[in-house]
Amino acid sequence: MGLTGLDIFKQLPKTNCKDCGQATCLAFAMQIAAGKAGLDGCPHVSSAAKEALEAASAPPVALVKIGTGEKEIQLGNETVLFRHDKRFEHPTAITISVNDTEDVAAKVQAVNKLVFDRVGMLFSVNMVAVINASGDAAKFADAVKTAQENTEFPLALCTEDAAAMGAALEVAGSKKPLIYAATAANYEAMAELAKKYECPLAVKGADINELADLSEKVSALGCKQLILDSGAREVNKMLADQTQIRRLAINKRFRPFGYPTIAIVTSEDPVQAVLDASVYISKYAGVVVLSTADPAEILPLITLRLNIYTDPQKPIAVESKLYAVGEPGPDAPVFVTTNFSLTYFCVQGDVEAARIPAYILPVDSDGTSVLTAWAAGKLTPDSITELIKKSGIEDKVNHKKLILPGGVAVLSGKLAEISGWEVLVGPYDSGGIPSFLKQRWV
Amino acid sequence: MIIIGERINGMFVDIREAIQAKDPKPIQEWAVKQEEAGAHILDINTGASVMKDEQPAVMEWLVKLAQEVSKLPVAIDSTNPIAIEAGLKAARGKAMINSTTAEQAKMDLYMPMAAKYNAQIIGLAMNEKGVPKTADDRAALAMELVVNADMNGIPMQDLFIDPLALPCNVAQEHAPEVLAALRQIKMLASPAPMTTLGLSNVSQRCTNRPLINRTFLVMCMACGLDSAIVDANDNDLVDAAAAANVLLNKDIYCDSYLKTFRQR
Repeated sequence: MGLTGLDIFKQLPKTNCKDCGQATCLAFAMQIAAGKAGLDGCPHVSSAAKEALEAASAPPVALVKIGTGEKEIQLGNETVLFRHDKRFEHPTAITISVNDTEDVAAKVQAVNKLVFDRVGMLFSVNMVAVINASGDAAKFADAVKTAQENTEFPLALCTEDAAAMGAALEVAGSKKPLIYAATAANYEAMAELAKKYECPLAVKGADINELADLSEKVSALGCKQLILDSGAREVNKMLADQTQIRRLAINKRFRPFGYPTIAIVTSEDPVQAVLDASVYISKYAGVVVLSTADPAEILPLITLRLNIYTDPQKPIAVESKLYAVGEPGPDAPVFVTTNFSLTYFCVQGDVEAARIPAYILPVDSDGTSVLTAWAAGKLTPDSITELIKKSGIEDKVNHKKLILPGGVAVLSGKLAEISGWEVLVGPYDSGGIPSFLKQRWV
Repeated sequence: MIIIGERINGMFVDIREAIQAKDPKPIQEWAVKQEEAGAHILDINTGASVMKDEQPAVMEWLVKLAQEVSKLPVAIDSTNPIAIEAGLKAARGKAMINSTTAEQAKMDLYMPMAAKYNAQIIGLAMNEKGVPKTADDRAALAMELVVNADMNGIPMQDLFIDPLALPCNVAQEHAPEVLAALRQIKMLASPAPMTTLGLSNVSQRCTNRPLINRTFLVMCMACGLDSAIVDANDNDLVDAAAAANVLLNKDIYCDSYLKTFRQR
């Protein structure tokens, strides 16, 4: 949304001098809000006011990039508090940390393997955070070098010692790692480094108030690619801080909070750590840092992130291909439906409940339901016949009988004619599949 | 959609006679009837037949009577600031001032009053020159109301701007301007100010008034109308408002949406 008349009016000099051609400053503000005049029409407006107005028309949460090339991470550009209002744009970057005191190469190689197949696509973690646990600058630079040599993922360099950060950036600076972190004590030196290497900079406050203060100072020094850390580590405080940061950025256009955030998981208990990270993924975190590289702990987070960041306005579809429920033999029944995931999983669940192994053929309907697909001409005798041929079902069963959803019984005649299969009209609702099979399929 | 019930107003004969006879019964009957029909706020107006110096006492009496039998908040409807303040003092819960115009003298009087009593306030998009012709002029006056409310620390959720509907038989060209003004008012500030309308005005001395009223109500809601001063006992009108709320995705649809709307 653009600027409102009130926002603009508050930045005007309120002289009512008419130099802009309008009767009052208020009228001028209305003209700007309506897009009928530009701010440069007023010769008396201050540069601070100009900057405030320009900033206000920028996106509420800035787009921040970490890393380079194929594995570059994009964060921010978020516009809503709830995914059902529009959608969440850029998935949380799941980051695994490694201390410079442990075997960096081994841990990083374990991180590289955190790639999972979900619904036919590959999803992975996004970043490796190298932590200067030793406190030794040379050791840290060494660990950063080892990490960089062993992974394609972007790095986060974690030390509050500006000299150690400088040494590490000499090794890794060209690949745009995340600098973590600028604090009240070191922010001038860190901002210098971030500008020199053109890297994103994390800003860490002792609490949310100090964070706002620091963010403003760092941005005044010319760093505009920021990641925010409110300093909270307990999940309850973190939830409150994340909510405040996102709310103020979007609802109040509070510029110091107009950046993605970082959430660091500190729980020792692995179950608690995964639960904490789940909260951060659901509630606005741009980056979540965990210390575990155990696939069993990362898989649920990858899945949750995929679910939370799906676009609620686009129907979710399953792949259009032959599916087997149980271990169907050559006599097993064959069901036709559409590839809307809700439809497919209803049918699959009810076929499972019937305890008779079967095949399901979901026609590619662009993820729409049976009746929607039928009304839109996407579930037709032709599209079903095409799927029969393409799916290989003809080689799997020794009969030629197809079960059609009861709602599209009208397709049965033409379908039988075109496909050469015998068409049985199944129940209207998939809940009727178990009793249908008992009565009609022997 | 916030429905402000218009019926407790001395311009109606039964209310006028009740005020003269000091008979609480008709007042309380209408308070209950309007609440049952789905009103969210009860408008209270002494009517012009009450002498100016008696208005504060009558207002206080009406407010207390209505709130004795109804849990609804009240809108204190008067052109007399002393009567308004008396009503605000007597009211329970968050009251509403009905109304100020965009005249500076009136805003200087009523805006601080709204702030002091933490009341909502209706601002009419007109000034001493009368009702503006175009949507742009209405929006300009609305902006004056927004700025003055902001200066007095009144949150936008408590400012209800009325772009002023005029009778469609004699001022037909105003209706589309009101619709355009409603859209513009919603862009003036963020969060946006609320909007309201003295709806029954649009059909003054027309035939089939209820049809005109509910049709215009639905059109206005599509343009961002948040509340209206209406005949809450016009069932067709409340039905139309309930349906419009569903179609604007403000209320989640259910089969009993007409009933749910009236219970909220």
